Amino acid sequence: MSEAIHADKVMDLKGLPCPMPVVKVSKGIKEVAVGQILEAQTTDPGSLTDFPAWARTSGNEIVETIQENGIIRIFIRRKV
Amino acid sequence: MDQQMREDLLKLFQTKLNRAMVYYLETCTRCGVCTTACHVYQSMPQARYIAAYRAEIVRRIYKKHFKGQGKLWPSYGEAKELTEAALQELYDAAYSCTGCRRCMVYCPFGIDTQMLMSIAKLLLVGAHAEPEILTLLADTSIEKGRSLEFFKEGFLQGVKNLEQKVVEKWKLEAEGKTVIPVDVEGAELLYVALAGAHSIIPAAAVFNAAGENWTLSFFEAVNFGAFVGDPTRTKLILDRIVNEALRLKVKEVCICECGTAYRVMKQLSGTQPFKVSSVTEVHARYLREGRIRVSKKAFEGQVVTYHDPCQIARNGGVLEEPRFILQHLTDDFREMAPDPRYNYCCGGGGGLVALGEDTLDFRMKSAKVKAEQVQKTGATVLATACENCHTQLSDLNRHYGLGLNVQFLTSMVADALVVS
Ligand code: SF4
Ligand code: SF4
Repeated sequence: MSEAIHADKVMDLKGLPCPMPVVKVSKGIKEVAVGQILEAQTTDPGSLTDFPAWARTSGNEIVETIQENGIIRIFIRRKV
Repeated sequence: MDQQMREDLLKLFQTKLNRAMVYYLETCTRCGVCTTACHVYQSMPQARYIAAYRAEIVRRIYKKHFKGQGKLWPSYGEAKELTEAALQELYDAAYSCTGCRRCMVYCPFGIDTQMLMSIAKLLLVGAHAEPEILTLLADTSIEKGRSLEFFKEGFLQGVKNLEQKVVEKWKLEAEGKTVIPVDVEGAELLYVALAGAHSIIPAAAVFNAAGENWTLSFFEAVNFGAFVGDPTRTKLILDRIVNEALRLKVKEVCICECGTAYRVMKQLSGTQPFKVSSVTEVHARYLREGRIRVSKKAFEGQVVTYHDPCQIARNGGVLEEPRFILQHLTDDFREMAPDPRYNYCCGGGGGLVALGEDTLDFRMKSAKVKAEQVQKTGATVLATACENCHTQLSDLNRHYGLGLNVQFLTSMVADALVVS
């Protein structure tokens, strides 16, 4: 795996049914401090549109997205 | 609650008062027939879980504010002021009802409790007292529609990464063909999936095996606006898909295994140049027309039953197709009792599954009757055609130790594909 940003919390959301990835990340982001990074790991292509749209809606920021070996890693900075 | 808020909420209430709704509000004779129809009451026999009792909470506010009852003697006529306490009662009634409409088929007057609960949900949205996460999910879907250009590339890459898995299932030489086509103008069929790979891979395998000229939607099918009972958000979410279908000039919009998505698309998309189908209907058609072949090997020696998702079966009319498909997949299919039209809700509808862990205890207790209904069939495989139902049935399976293999019907078809 390529070197990624340091995450303060990592959530494994692989294979979860709809809408659990977004539900869980909404809760998970509150478990890191403002400014810290949450890494969400998934295998669902829909997450690549869901998460950025969720970040805009909830006022957080996607700082990086990495797709490798079938795993999607989304790094989210808590902003609010 | 201040006067302004009350007036605003009553204006929202007013928007719901069409002829059917007024009929539902003014007709109940309290005969009690609906009492045992509700899976919640059957599993947890408490008055507050009776369909007519839930409806009465909305009805009392209607009587007070729209019929003028109880103005002289507030305790008379069971009219009730719209207050903070009333909002709490509305919440409890609406979010313990899954909107399955089983009570409606028993009620001699056809009173639709789910519709009455939609008033409760709308008032909660107006008062910002709805479950926050449902609104956030709905707003996320709407934002996706607005900002698609920003997200497109990542999605296309993500879809590309699934192709190998589709080819494995498809078992055909896929060379030269696009395995998961996206954004194809002039395709016959637009498939609207969910975010999960499990909603795309088997469906893609079956479309390709059938030689379908199809294209995958950028959007997810589920409509959280409908779950939270907000007509404005429901329409915005729906319009994304309608506009995509119009832009691509498809002849058919095929909704994945998501009950609410299917009902909303079928009943609220209006007159369009495309038809709306559930993926179950499409698969049944492929089998009927000989476009795909399946073998019974994959489920040999298994006893299979099928859970009818309320929004697809009772409320969407898709009853015969899943059974037709299952005839091709197993020699030992066992119907649940009572029959499909009266099938019990899985207990996860109305947004309850989307509320996750917060509703888990209630969902398990209130669907005891469902677990018993499944168990009585003696099935080893429980098939269904809705993501929401699948999650809830899997939770029930674990909670009640049913030892079942809970399956999506689409996956069963994909696993049983025979290549000629
Ligand atoms: S069955 Fe219909 S009329 Fe009878 S109590 Fe229930 S809602 Fe009212
Ligand atoms: S719609 Fe379903 S959950 Fe709601 S009251 Fe009727 S039977 Fe119960």
